Amino acid sequence: MAKDKELAKEQERPRLRGRCDICEEEGKIILRLEMPGVDKGNLDINVNNNQLEIIGHKKDPDIDGNYLVRERTRGDYFHLYTIDETVDRDKIDASLENGILTVTLQLKEAEKPKKIAVKTGK
Amino acid sequence: MALIRWRNDLFNPFSDLDRLQDDINQLFNGTRGPAPQQGIFDRTISPAIDMVETKDEFIVMCDLPGVSGDDLDISVTKDVLTIKGEKKGEVKKEESQYYRRESWSGSFQRTIALPTGIDSDKVEAGFHNGVLEVKLPKREEVKPKQISIKAH
Repeated sequence: MAKDKELAKEQERPRLRGRCDICEEEGKIILRLEMPGVDKGNLDINVNNNQLEIIGHKKDPDIDGNYLVRERTRGDYFHLYTIDETVDRDKIDASLENGILTVTLQLKEAEKPKKIAVKTGK
Repeated sequence: MALIRWRNDLFNPFSDLDRLQDDINQLFNGTRGPAPQQGIFDRTISPAIDMVETKDEFIVMCDLPGVSGDDLDISVTKDVLTIKGEKKGEVKKEESQYYRRESWSGSFQRTIALPTGIDSDKVEAGFHNGVLEVKLPKREEVKPKQISIKAH
């Protein structure tokens, strides 16, 4: 019961979508997601079948005081992406630095573009 | 609490309506992007802050993802706190192909008017996980004091 309540509380928290950059280079897909205030331990990255789910739990500041200005967003960062078979599920790396989460998805070797030399018939 | 130019036109009875329309337009103009250029000293972007007053100090928190601590410049005078800095963008490689690009780079500034009674010599700043936290302790004379009642 307590767990249900905890879960309900979790679901009540607003979901944030921080700014993100997605680019492809050298056979990798790189996602850079802005997640200020998220600690390494509060990150959840899951891959189920063809869905990549990234959740960053942003801790609310634990300060006993009176808010004079309150502009920062509260909630959890939530990103959900669909990935296809070209992404190697075993080679997904993530690193967190200065509030930016970088997720690197390695593409499978066979899916990289191959240059085909055209032979000229003599 | 940055300084924002007050647009007030005494001779235009519709100035309030104009302002309302401007504000509503801004609401739909993509709030994700850089903040509108309004403040005199705002250089394009002023990051969002939280300011909390506790018993002994004021705490200012600011989300600055992707900024390194060395690029931050925090100064405090008697009643103004200025957070200045530069966010360096990712070095763009020739061969990289972008599917989505929402992040920004450039300089930003936020000026915050401070309440009186801050000990500017003891201001501390910490930067962790992209969140800047500036602690501004109150001077002894402004702190609330408990007065005990002596029983006769």
